[in-house]
Amino acid sequence: MKSANSKSRVLELALYPLPLLAFLSCWYLATYGNQERQFIFSSPEKVLEAFWRLVKNGELLQNSLITILEALVGFVLGTTSGAIIGLSLWYSRLVAKIAKPYITALATVPIFALAPIVISWFGIDIYSKIALAFLSTVTVAIVQSYQGARAVEPRFLRLMQVVAASRWQTFRLVVMPSSLIWVLNAMKLNIGLALLGAFIGEFISAEQGLGYMIVKASGLYDMATVFVGVIALIVIALLLTALVERLEKHLMKWNQ
Amino acid sequence: MSTNLLTIDGLCFDFAGEAKLLSQVSLTVQNGEIVCILGASGCGKTTLLNLIAGLLSPTSGTIAINSQKQSKIGYIFQSDALFPWRTVKDNLLLAAAIDKSLDKKALEQSMLQYLAMFHLSEQTLAKYPKQLSGGMRQRVSIIQSLMFDPELLLLDEPFSALDYYTKLKLEDEFCQFVKVRNTAAILVTHDIEEAVAIGNRALIMSGGKLQKEYHIKSNNDLLERGSTLFAEKYREIWTELKSVVSEIR
Repeated sequence: MKSANSKSRVLELALYPLPLLAFLSCWYLATYGNQERQFIFSSPEKVLEAFWRLVKNGELLQNSLITILEALVGFVLGTTSGAIIGLSLWYSRLVAKIAKPYITALATVPIFALAPIVISWFGIDIYSKIALAFLSTVTVAIVQSYQGARAVEPRFLRLMQVVAASRWQTFRLVVMPSSLIWVLNAMKLNIGLALLGAFIGEFISAEQGLGYMIVKASGLYDMATVFVGVIALIVIALLLTALVERLEKHLMKWNQ
Repeated sequence: MSTNLLTIDGLCFDFAGEAKLLSQVSLTVQNGEIVCILGASGCGKTTLLNLIAGLLSPTSGTIAINSQKQSKIGYIFQSDALFPWRTVKDNLLLAAAIDKSLDKKALEQSMLQYLAMFHLSEQTLAKYPKQLSGGMRQRVSIIQSLMFDPELLLLDEPFSALDYYTKLKLEDEFCQFVKVRNTAAILVTHDIEEAVAIGNRALIMSGGKLQKEYHIKSNNDLLERGSTLFAEKYREIWTELKSVVSEIR
């Protein structure tokens, strides 16, 4: 039984890179020896060349670190404050009702539309990107946390009522831990959104970061560098997601 | 003369003018007494427990609990209310998390005594509810309620989801507990056998009213299922319930 399981695990690991290899092969074959196609679509070997160049001159690491910093700070601020606001709304149905249209309004405004305002308020350096990452993540965290707080199993609330627990005790001992899974889900969603917020800020106006690197390279028709930037963004998102999944595993060990 | 622990007088309940769920229910319960309430689904049994527990407010009538204790009521629900994110120990010490004035060491002592009483090992304490069987979870749930040292226990079909042998064992443990602690209990059940085995009195409820009352026995020992008294009481209650159910149909 154990050997069958490990066999299927090996097969699973072997199958993982297959779609990527298929894509790279098609890309390589489609652009091989064709200068015109390589100019428009670049090619795997050109992307690899650009990658080494950017690693050697330190540009990739520097720009990646800037984007990670902006996204992470925005993510932490947005998710934490969103979770606090969302969970606190459990305290008052009236406040939650009044807050609902405002949260919906904030959630429906495309972050692209807010970017010029935020940049003119916070300037073109790192703070405007953090603010955009914050705005991208805060509403998701509010909505998810509030849903989590409302989805607490009635039998737990009944128990707390029977044992004459205060509202604060019910909040601390039941609502908060019970909503944790919702907050963690918000965190997973917010990683991509925080990166998007930071990227949009860099895309519109910046002097550093992966967004800036991509915009500058696309202006010069340097598609290989654009691809390196995009791949770097994907890798950062995957790493941060893996980090949240680790945190989830640690915090939700009771559910395993 | 023993005084009543619980006195319910003319209790009525409905949801905002809709049909009455409870109508003129009057009942008294004394210390050390197990009262079983039987009846078809929707007859108002759980509503009555929720009213006694203070989870609902009566439309009219009174509920008086004659107790000096801070936590007067323990409620054991049909499905356990153990918090899945807390270990069994943390679930059992919920009382300490809620009432900071309680002596945690003394609580831990009683927790160990209850574990022994309900035949649970100390290894159970480190586990999460998800790691326990249904019977073990229900026992832990019962102990969790007892940790608040309630004067009156309300039980809403607590043994219904268990297999027959676990149920028999838990019923016996429960009777022993009531006997030792002189606690009163109101048990809602669909099971006549259970009511006859563990109850001192059985009340038949129908259409939101208490229809009939049966005295079963005076002591808190489990009534032998093969005994003549058991068969006699079972037949009496069964006949009454059968006529009540056929009236509803």
